[in-house]
Amino acid sequence: MKRKAFVMAALSLALVAANVSTVQADALVGQPAPSFTAADTNGKSHALTDFKGKYVVLEWTNYDCPFVVKQYSTQAMQEMQKMAAGKGVVWLSVNSSAAGKQGNYPAEKWNTLVKEKGAAPKAILLDGDGKIGQLYGAKTTPHMYIINPEGKLIYNGAIDDKPTTDAATKPQTNYVAAALTEAMAGKPVTVATTRPYGCSVKY
Amino acid sequence: MFWFAVGFAVLTVPVAAIPVRSAHTEAELISEVRSVQPGRPFWVALRLKMDPEWHTYWLNPGDSGTATTLQWQQPAGIQAGPLRWPYPQRIAAPPLASYGYEGTVYLLSEIQAPADLKPGAKLALRAKAEWLECKVECLPGAGTVALELPVQAEATAPSVHADAIAAARGRLPVTIADWKLRAAVQEGQLILRATRPEWFAGEIGPVTFFPEQDLLIEPAAPQVLEVRPDGFLLKLKRSAVSTATPERIAGVLVAPAGWRGAGSEQALSVRVALEPVAAVLSAGAPDLAGLLVAVGFAFLGGMILNLMPCVLPVLSIKVLGFVQEARTGHAWRYGLAFTAGVLASFWLLAGGLLLLRAGGEQLGWGFQLQSPPFLVILCAVLFLFGLNLFGIFEVGTSLTRLGGAGPAGGLGGSFFSGVLATTVATPCTAPFMGSALGYALTQPVWAALLVFTALGLGMASPYLLLSLSPALLRFVPKPGAWMETFKQAMGFLLMGTVVWLGWVLGLQAGVSALAALLAALVVLGAAAWALGKWGHMAAPAPTRLTARVLAALGIVGALGVALVGVEQQSAASSGPTQATATPSEGIRWEAFSPQRVAALRAAGTPVFIDFTAAWCLSCQVNERVAFSSPQVREAFARGGFVMLKADWTKRDAAIAQALAQFGRSGVPLYVLYGPTAGAPPRILPEVLTPDIIVKALQELS
Repeated sequence: MKRKAFVMAALSLALVAANVSTVQADALVGQPAPSFTAADTNGKSHALTDFKGKYVVLEWTNYDCPFVVKQYSTQAMQEMQKMAAGKGVVWLSVNSSAAGKQGNYPAEKWNTLVKEKGAAPKAILLDGDGKIGQLYGAKTTPHMYIINPEGKLIYNGAIDDKPTTDAATKPQTNYVAAALTEAMAGKPVTVATTRPYGCSVKY
Repeated sequence: MFWFAVGFAVLTVPVAAIPVRSAHTEAELISEVRSVQPGRPFWVALRLKMDPEWHTYWLNPGDSGTATTLQWQQPAGIQAGPLRWPYPQRIAAPPLASYGYEGTVYLLSEIQAPADLKPGAKLALRAKAEWLECKVECLPGAGTVALELPVQAEATAPSVHADAIAAARGRLPVTIADWKLRAAVQEGQLILRATRPEWFAGEIGPVTFFPEQDLLIEPAAPQVLEVRPDGFLLKLKRSAVSTATPERIAGVLVAPAGWRGAGSEQALSVRVALEPVAAVLSAGAPDLAGLLVAVGFAFLGGMILNLMPCVLPVLSIKVLGFVQEARTGHAWRYGLAFTAGVLASFWLLAGGLLLLRAGGEQLGWGFQLQSPPFLVILCAVLFLFGLNLFGIFEVGTSLTRLGGAGPAGGLGGSFFSGVLATTVATPCTAPFMGSALGYALTQPVWAALLVFTALGLGMASPYLLLSLSPALLRFVPKPGAWMETFKQAMGFLLMGTVVWLGWVLGLQAGVSALAALLAALVVLGAAAWALGKWGHMAAPAPTRLTARVLAALGIVGALGVALVGVEQQSAASSGPTQATATPSEGIRWEAFSPQRVAALRAAGTPVFIDFTAAWCLSCQVNERVAFSSPQVREAFARGGFVMLKADWTKRDAAIAQALAQFGRSGVPLYVLYGPTAGAPPRILPEVLTPDIIVKALQELS
């Protein structure tokens, strides 16, 4: 009797345990941003902790994705990068395309492309094994994150409110610019989480 | 087809649409009818034919992608209905997933033809379509699609596309009111519950939910179906970054087996408001097997409860009572009275819990100990009871029957000790009890009451058994002078319980509240002393009356003042309690929060969660026995565990929710998450030893 009860108890515990949802790796707004270290296209290593005390923008990118193409062909992304740099914000573009997949280039090619586009990130981080992407739960290109000087994530989501590849469609709100402006003015970020749009990250 | 061709020739304008092509998709506007009748609605569709392996997106594209858009550019007077989306398929690209279409899709729209159309004229429809086509890489597609249809006075005839459009319409989500749909959000989960209509005899096969809302669920996460006799539960992982809980859930439930039976509609429209978790889970009849297991566990748990530290002080009193009554030959009556007392208190407890649950409160086992006024009253009762055992006063027959009066008063006394035993038992959760109670609280009222009844019967069963079979009474010691000594000694045990409850009160409401309680106890003690000295039967009647009135005034006054004082104090101190962190020194406890657990799990950090409360005596014992052991501390440190303490001494909805997630309604609960991401947590037993913990940690690593 007792043995049977024990078996049942164990079974029910196992059932309870199986029902409990597991937590996926994702960066949550309001929580400390997951830390990482990655090499850039010049072979230089960057750790998130290097930038403590500064705002950091993470931009998931893939220069062949039409949504990214739109952001760069309209100069919207470059302008944001330059504006951010002017305010002392560290802008890191991250590429998580796996080897052989779209958007994965050798380092020299990246440097050429950056020059061609007139892009101005602090660095392009190469994340070919997708580790940082999965750590942050990056889903699309572009997918944007903002980390505040205390190392907390304050924005996670889309770049703007117009999920289109059509260069003629101007966004009404650029969420990243809005969040940075608010945060730097000492205000809470009004829109802190949105659904990112774009091409899937090519893990 | 023939007519079509003739119309073409006569009108010398293209009646059929001109397809637009992007790199991998052909887009065309098509109509269900060959001609338009003034004032009559008709269906058109944007047909997208994708190359093999390419897909376009649904209205909610999932993890990536963009929904197709259609912008009408037509003359005034023609009304086009909104784009209607056939249900999508899940397109997996681990670790991501999108919602979209492969092959050919028909995005539908109903057009209302104006009543003043002239027969013989043409109706021109134009729209700009934009889509995103993806295989692995993505390309945008766009084009202006157009369609011209002749206007005829007669009824319209179906076009060559009629069948395909009708089939696409069959994939639109439908509302079937007989299917009762409910939804709730539980920490990290969205739970959809469907109750089948009586007429539904089909199979509940695989079911997939496609949300229309952004950031509602994780598209790539598995959807867990739990079939129940009256329908099913679908458990979905909430979006990992979702910040707000929506009020309503909108989406489509897709079952290939059909919602009316084989071959019927496959897409059921979901438009429901969120409800409390307990309400959604408790809907419908419980399954019999689960109920039987819970009842069995509750009975066992109730029996074991007698051995928990909470009940022990009262246990000894009960033994005394039995010794006393055993010789009268009517022991069974006292056994029954005791059982009735236990059951009545369990029903009262269950009733309170269920009532408050219906009001949406997050409660659990032992909830009444989270209330400072309840603690004050419990302390007062136990204190007076203890004074009674010391012999400071005798109430004769009104409290418990220990002194040895007639059997009539004894029955009431037995009932009362049943009540008392239950009351002091609530700070404990015995093994087997946790899961039974957790289950009970998600069930309909009658099932919950059944489980609580089993718990009470289990707790009373040893005494009932003893009282029903006189043969067993041989093992009970004979009455004698030793009983007086034993009685007095038990009084100290009760005083100890009062001290402990006072400590709990102090944690909840602060030191001033504790002082108020102690002052009240002094007054109570004086009242009891006066009662004992002048209120006994041997005193002259006027003296006796005065003493009794004074004692009653003292008791009522002291309790009243203490309750008011405590109420004010507890309102002032609303912060979390800290003291449960003290017993296990050497372990660095952090405060529990679901977000902290999520963050640690995300980083692959092993986590131990201690769900505890100051009023939970089992928890306190466990902490002193298990967590203070150096080998346990060392094992946790070696495993790199982050130690989280969920202190439930005061009411806390987040902790109550977390407990419910593990199917529990009370503390203690010990949860171990190992370093493997995604692995289910391990739950440790309610009674801990250093060995159990160390072994569990070894097995994890």
